[in-house]
Amino acid sequence: MKMSKYSPKKIMINGIWDENPVLKQLIGICSTLAVTNNCMNSLIMGLGLTFVTGLSSFTISLIREFTPKHVRMMVQVLIIAVYVIIVDIYLRAFMPELSKALGPYVGLIITNCIIMGRAEAYAQNNPPIPALLDGVANGIGYTLVLLAIAVVRELLAFGSLFGVKLLGDWWTTWTIAIMPPSAFFLLATLIWIAHNIQNKKGEVAK
Amino acid sequence: MKKSSFLYPIIFMSLITAISVFALAFLNESTAERVATLQETDLRTKILYVFDIDVSTTDANEIEKLFNEHVEEEILDDSRIFILKENGEDKGYAFPVVGPGLWGQINGYAAISTDYNELLGIVFIKHEETPGLGGRIEEEQYLSQFRNLDLSSASDGNFIIYRPAANGNVDAIAGATLTSNSVAKLLNEDIYGFIQGRKGE
Repeated sequence: MKMSKYSPKKIMINGIWDENPVLKQLIGICSTLAVTNNCMNSLIMGLGLTFVTGLSSFTISLIREFTPKHVRMMVQVLIIAVYVIIVDIYLRAFMPELSKALGPYVGLIITNCIIMGRAEAYAQNNPPIPALLDGVANGIGYTLVLLAIAVVRELLAFGSLFGVKLLGDWWTTWTIAIMPPSAFFLLATLIWIAHNIQNKKGEVAK
Repeated sequence: MKKSSFLYPIIFMSLITAISVFALAFLNESTAERVATLQETDLRTKILYVFDIDVSTTDANEIEKLFNEHVEEEILDDSRIFILKENGEDKGYAFPVVGPGLWGQINGYAAISTDYNELLGIVFIKHEETPGLGGRIEEEQYLSQFRNLDLSSASDGNFIIYRPAANGNVDAIAGATLTSNSVAKLLNEDIYGFIQGRKGE
């Protein structure tokens, strides 16, 4: 096993840009559409997912030697669920406002394909520390995409960023930016831009 | 024991599940009190709001003090009713209102004067309406319309009527017709139900 295989820098760049879960792997789209009408929600959702993906990848990797192959998915779901519930309990106890704003989406972190995708694709076959990094990197990649969309949507829909009013009363709010369809348009545009940049660099050879 | 044996996966799963459940139960138990306090404070703030009592603080103890000064609680048909007291006299009742919204259940409280002729105010505790559209039912601009709303001239339990309909007394939210209508329906039904229940006592 070569050491260079686990270069932290490579893992981070992979998760955040080269193999960004939303832009390149096209997973985790559902929540991307749902929570991005508001920057704060997106940030907390992203941090929650980063926490869950990182730690569940770490735990799954830790016990991978003892896990029988044919029940591994059950184990993965169980571990992911535990971390999601921890996030939910934490938000309810210490950030009640956000917990209310995010509502059912916190529980739905568990259905985010990114977590299980990373568990299956990476954590199951790699040591704990690289698995943790990989989970965190993918979480950050996801968070950044969410924020990029949320910034545009919140600005158009409410004239504010993170709840701070930036545009005055002259700003006519865009109803479409609140609704899920606007996330479709923005996400498609982002994916298009990302692919163009990456193609130009010759990283995606067709 | 071999990993591929029949018993190993069962024992393995049981063990993992037991550890997880224990950890979560512990976490839940240790934060339960905190969560309950937060919810109670939140409810008190909302009840004080519905009675139009100014709450300028977010401190849980001060809210509790203010709440105990003005409000008494009563259980009626398994739901919590709050009574506004002023110099020992009943000034108004706050009762729960509930009904289906566009996406999910809407829960809230409505306050009514003791002669049932005036709606003192409404407030929403929980809803799942679209943020920025139906979600605007929790904004002051919408809620303030229900302050001191006259109910005595209403007929057939139609207390809330949106303008520009005849005898309209409240404005709906533009772009959120379904949510607005749901709110009017649940308010009308529950206000009527409460008044009938009270008068029948």
